[in-house]
Amino acid sequence: MTTYTETQLDALRELANIGSGQAAAALSTMLGHPVDISVPTAAAMELNDAIAAAGDPDAARHAVLVPIIGDFDASVVLLVPDSDAQQLCDVYGLDPHSEDGRSFLQEVGNILGTSYINVLAEMCGMEMEPAPPQVVYDMLGSILASVLLARGEDVDMALVLDSALTVEGRPASLSFLLIPAGGGVHDLLARIGVS
Amino acid sequence: MSSELPARMGEWVIGTEAGTVLTCIGLGSCIGLALIDRRTKIAGLAHVMLPEAPSGPGAAKPSQPDKFADHAVPAMIEALIHAGAMRHRLEAVLVGGAQMFALGRGSGQDIGARNEAAVRAQLDRARIPVRAAATGGGKGRSMRVVIPAGEVVYKEAAGRPITLLDPSADTLRMAA
Repeated sequence: MTTYTETQLDALRELANIGSGQAAAALSTMLGHPVDISVPTAAAMELNDAIAAAGDPDAARHAVLVPIIGDFDASVVLLVPDSDAQQLCDVYGLDPHSEDGRSFLQEVGNILGTSYINVLAEMCGMEMEPAPPQVVYDMLGSILASVLLARGEDVDMALVLDSALTVEGRPASLSFLLIPAGGGVHDLLARIGVS
Repeated sequence: MSSELPARMGEWVIGTEAGTVLTCIGLGSCIGLALIDRRTKIAGLAHVMLPEAPSGPGAAKPSQPDKFADHAVPAMIEALIHAGAMRHRLEAVLVGGAQMFALGRGSGQDIGARNEAAVRAQLDRARIPVRAAATGGGKGRSMRVVIPAGEVVYKEAAGRPITLLDPSADTLRMAA
């Protein structure tokens, strides 16, 4: 079972803070609205608890998955409730359930994921490449379980870095998760001098 | 009135009392396996996460064996028999095993399909027939098993509930 010290979680929270700051700036440019970020949370949880912490597993969410490949195996997941997705898509007069709306959300996920990952890669001196994003509208529990178990490996604990972004002037907030796979996190921590 | 008994990931539950509703919420690549004995009105529901526990020399003992089809299915069958069900009367319904995302670098990574195959292999071994299934595809699902009727219902996100097995009407429906 993988556990993290409080110092390690603090360092990860700081990485998430800088990453999501960069992501928020990119989103703000795209939307033409200021975007606020919350202080990210970092927690290592048993899988069922990690899903419960994200919300009602039965609740529908728009989700954009950006797989990260390279030195660091991870997934970035953007989660948006339907009403918030409506607000976001409204900036361009789109319906989130239409083809154009879906590709807009995919682009939002792409921009957020890519800017977040670029900052992380730069700070840690590691190769990280975002793979093409995939967008779904589905149950929160199904989304997170599929991401956590995608590799078919027996994992007990999930490390979840969660940042909330709020678009000013529009009641739209999105949740932004970085879910590292396997042992990559310890490499990442070692790179920034926290082992 | 009815009380919900959820099977969280890597767990199974058994229901014997009228009014109990067994649930698996938010199945993605996981399989929800319902086993029902209509006569004694006993049912079980397993939320299977992975096909098989690591084995061979050097493999650590899994901390939660009921994550795996090869542990969870036989264990739930034993528990059902212990609760009064008869093995030869058990009927199975499968829900889940979707592939919502294409992750992983190679092919053969579809964990949903591997989960379904592993659960069906265990059922074959126990000679338990699969009466209905809603598996595969790219959508997540939630399912409910209602006791005493043994009715099995599932739904997709924002979708309507669909009855897979209705023992009172004795209709069976295979979902696409």
